[in-house]
Parts: sequence; C-alpha cells; structure tokens
Amino acid sequence: MRYLARRAAWTVGALLGVSVVIFLLVRLLPGNIIDILAGTEGQLSRPQRAQLLRDFGLDRPLPVQYALWVSGMLRGNFGWSFRSSQPVADLLLSRLPITMELALLSVLAVAVIGIPLGVVASASRSLRVKTVVQIVGLLGLSVPNFWIAVVLIITASYLFGWLPALIYVSPWANPWVNLQQMFLPVSSLALGLAAVVIRMTRSSMLEVLGQDFVRVARAKGLSARTVLLRHALRNALIPIVTVLGLQTGYLLGGVVITEQIFGLPGLGWMLLNGVYQRDYPVVQGTVMLFAVCFVLVNLIVDVLYTSLDPRIRYD
Amino acid sequence: MTEPGVASRAVAVPGLAPPARLGGARLRRALRQTPVAVIGTVTVGLVVLTALLAPVLAPYDPVAQIAKPLLSPGRDFLAGTDEFGRDELSRLIAGARVSLYVGGLAVLIALALGGTSGVLAGFCGGWVDDLTMRAMDILLSLPALVLAIAITSVLGSSLTNVMLAIGIVYAPTFARVARAPTLAVVRVPYIEAARALGASAPRVVLRHVVPNVAAPVLVQTTVSLSTAILTEAALSFLGLGTQPPTASWGLMLSAARQYMLIDPWIALFPGGAIALTVLGFNLLGDGLRDLLDPRLRVE
Repeated sequence: MRYLARRAAWTVGALLGVSVVIFLLVRLLPGNIIDILAGTEGQLSRPQRAQLLRDFGLDRPLPVQYALWVSGMLRGNFGWSFRSSQPVADLLLSRLPITMELALLSVLAVAVIGIPLGVVASASRSLRVKTVVQIVGLLGLSVPNFWIAVVLIITASYLFGWLPALIYVSPWANPWVNLQQMFLPVSSLALGLAAVVIRMTRSSMLEVLGQDFVRVARAKGLSARTVLLRHALRNALIPIVTVLGLQTGYLLGGVVITEQIFGLPGLGWMLLNGVYQRDYPVVQGTVMLFAVCFVLVNLIVDVLYTSLDPRIRYD
Repeated sequence: MTEPGVASRAVAVPGLAPPARLGGARLRRALRQTPVAVIGTVTVGLVVLTALLAPVLAPYDPVAQIAKPLLSPGRDFLAGTDEFGRDELSRLIAGARVSLYVGGLAVLIALALGGTSGVLAGFCGGWVDDLTMRAMDILLSLPALVLAIAITSVLGSSLTNVMLAIGIVYAPTFARVARAPTLAVVRVPYIEAARALGASAPRVVLRHVVPNVAAPVLVQTTVSLSTAILTEAALSFLGLGTQPPTASWGLMLSAARQYMLIDPWIALFPGGAIALTVLGFNLLGDGLRDLLDPRLRVE
C-alpha cells in the first residue's frame, strides 16, 4: 500500500514535469503566439496586439502564466482552440472515446493472437523454432504500422473490393458498422505487437517450464493442459503484462498515425490537426492527455502485478 | 568490444555480464548459435553500401521528372515511376542515404545526451543522480512519437530539427542503459584503489567506467538506430520530417497514399525498404546482445 502511494505520488510528479516541458516548449516557439495567430488574419496594430496579449494572459510573467494554465487544467479548463474557439476540454472529451476504443481493441487483439501462439511455440526448444520466433518478433518491431495499414487497404480493396466507410460511426449509433471500420485500423496496430508478444510469451513460458514446481505438478499427475495453463502460463504472464504495458507507448504513438490514415477523429487526429494548423492550445491539451493516459496505464500495470502474482506485495 | 584493449580492461563485476572477448574460434561458434546476427550484419551491410554508393548505383537522378507518372515496374524503370514521373528505384536508393544519415546522427545525439548523463548520474550519485533520472523519467512519460511530434511542431520541420527531436526522445533510454553498469562498477574495490592512487575523476570515468558501459550501450545504439529510422519515417510520413523533393521513404509512402489504389507498387516499395532496414538493425542488435551479454540470452 505504501509503495502504491509513493508510486501514485510520483505519477503526479511526472505529470507536473510533463506540463512544465509542454509549457516551455510552446513558449520556445519562434515568433510570438499572437503573431502566428494574427498571421492568418492580417496585420495587427500595436494596441490590438497589446489587447490580444492581455486577453490571452501573455503579458504576465512566465511562472504566473504557468500557474494559471495548470490551475485551469485542474479545474477542467484547457483553454480555447485558436481556430474554432471551442473549449479544448470539450474537444478532448469528444475525441477520447474513439482513441480508447482503438487502443483497447488493439491490446485485446494483441493478447488474443500473441499469447496462444506464444504458448504453442514454447512446445519446442529447437534452435530453428527459436530463430523463426525471434525473427517474427523482430519483424513485428520493424515493419512500420503505417505501412501495414497501407498494405491492408490495398489488399482489402483489390482482393475483396471492400473499403470501410470513411465517416466515423460511433459504436452506440451502429455497432456493426463501427466494428467494420475498426477492423483495419486495429489490425494494423495489433499485428506488429502480436509478433512481439509471441516471442515474449515463448521465452517466458520456457523459463517457467524449466522450474521445479512445474516438475512437481507433472509428477503429481496433473494433466499436461492443467500444468500448462494453470501453473506455467499464470506465472509466465507477469513479464508478458509488463511488456504489454510498456508497449502502450508504442501503441499510443501508433494511434496517431493510424487515426490519420483511416480518418478516425480521435486524439491523434486532433493532435496532428492542431500541429498542422498551429493551434497550440489544442496541441498542449492533447499532448497532456496523452501523457496522462500513458502514465495511468503504467500505474495500472503495476497494480495488476499484485493480482497476477500474490508473491509481489508492495510494502 | 572487438578492440582487444577495451575488452581486457573491462573487469568482471558482480551483477554485470562477464566481459565478452571474441577470439576467432569462439566468435565462429557464437555466430553459429546466433544466426540472426549474421543475417542482421549482411542486411545492414547492404543498406549501408547502398547509401554510400547511392550516386553510383542510382540509374537516374532521384529528383528529375523523366518519364510518365505512375509507370509499373518494367525494363527501363525497374521499380516504376512515382506520381511526378521520377524513377522510383533511384528514389529508393537515395532514401537509404537520408534514412541512415538522419537516423545515425539522431542516435549520436541521443548517445551524447543520454549516455553522458547516465554515466554522470551513476558516478556522482546523490542528488545529481536523482535529478538526472527524474528528468529522464519525465521525458519517458510521453509516448516517443507524440513527444517527437510536439518537438518538431515547435522547432519546425527540417532535417536538423528532426534529428534533434529524435535525439532528445531517445536520450532517456541511453541514460538508463548507461547508468546501471556505472552504479555497479563504482562500488568495486579497484575503483577505490584507482582513486587512492590519486586518479582524477575524469580519468576513473574514462579508463574504468566507460569500458564497462560500452557493451550494453553498443547494443542500445544498434537497437536505437532501428527505432530512430522508424521514427524519421513516421514523422516524414506525417509531413513533419523530411520535406519534398528530398527522397525519404516515409515521405514517398505518404505521397503514395493518394495513388495506391491505381498503382500499389509505389506504396509497397518504400514501406518494404523501411521494414528491411529496420529489421536489419534489430537483428544485428539482438545478435550483439546474445554475443556480448550471455546473461540476457533467452534459453
């Protein structure tokens, strides 16, 4: 419990650190934010500029600006979009579910494909199987997911004459159409990671299978199936969960590109549009939310250890 | 670690891999056991050669518009032409140069920033260690690609800025990799002896710490080359990296998206080139890890 409290405290600390980094990054911008904003709306007179600076609070000292920004975020105020003048918080809230659906379905697909295949591959210790699994795992790390996406689109359209609807449909409106839309993006994100998990599962299983308690379980006459699934896999899962947790970063990065390719209006799509339109409140808000998601997932992974492995008690 | 002098200075430290010394017979045996290292070396070698010999190998000027657009692969244009009628093969070859150049320099930046701060953090300990590693943890609280996008969006898209962004993003990994063996080695008696003999701190770090850190950092460098190349491709794909008309694989793939249903080839080749190159570095990194650090070897 004590460990978890410390862990949670550090999570908050890390997020504060991230907020400082984001804040300073945006202030490092070559040229003032006002000039960027005004760039599309013609020349500003000096008083107009001063007025705008005051409106955005940019005439205050940096620490004050930072404090205002953070306290605003804590109260749910992420500022307003330069382009649409909508509150960034509302935009974030409307985009988040799409990204969460994409990420959760992908992790699910990774586990469903990767873990069983890894268990099957752990049946052999031969150098050939080891090498093949090693190469498959590295392929998963090497093939860019945006290329998988492109190949999937080409394959689907050439072989099946099928392309998913381009306008996003939420699962509440029409679950079937939504699943069809999610199929290609989820595949493009999950295939590479699944290959990594196959390799991880195999090596983790082999390590556990070599331990004494597995021999004991076999010796007392348990069926191969029970030994494999109840005794070996359960213990092998711990490093696998770690890897899945660590790969969330990769996944969250991949989400940005995948959403762009498939036109899914999630957080990644919002981040990129913010970047393209130099809409810095939107960029700040989305990057911050990405950090929150990422740090929270890692916290959850830490907590999951205890339920997977009662031997790990944090105190 | 192939230089014998470096290997013999590295002393076995508890909790560290025994120093790897690769003589002829042992090297051959080790290579047989890790076929991936051989495949990786060959692949990386080919890509590096292609990049070095790009102007000689490319049949045409990679930015010259010389033929009908979107030709399929044929005798005159082995990989076809792109949407502007430029020779795809020449662009693929020129792209190898851009990828290795950006990836290589980005990793050097990450190595310089991260490696140095990791060794210093481990060597100095105390608040220096705490402060450095907490700062690195903060950078690690953001998905790599998201951080790279944020940095390039602020700095602007140019080759230099992309390298800088990727270098900053991957520095924390190097810091962690360099810090752990440093921490282990500074507790060893011979370091104390060296200090007692009056060796200055820089001398201790350079002569005794760095050789022990070299092996894991070398593995990390190879693996990071793969991720750096992948990140450059991703940034260019999103229009935030290399700018046209430079031939970059990510950029080529991004441009191909509009035409991929008419001419799938121009989408397949650049992605394949990225995958092959990155795979080569990953295989090499994995093989090196097996060779240099037997403790980490799976099974």
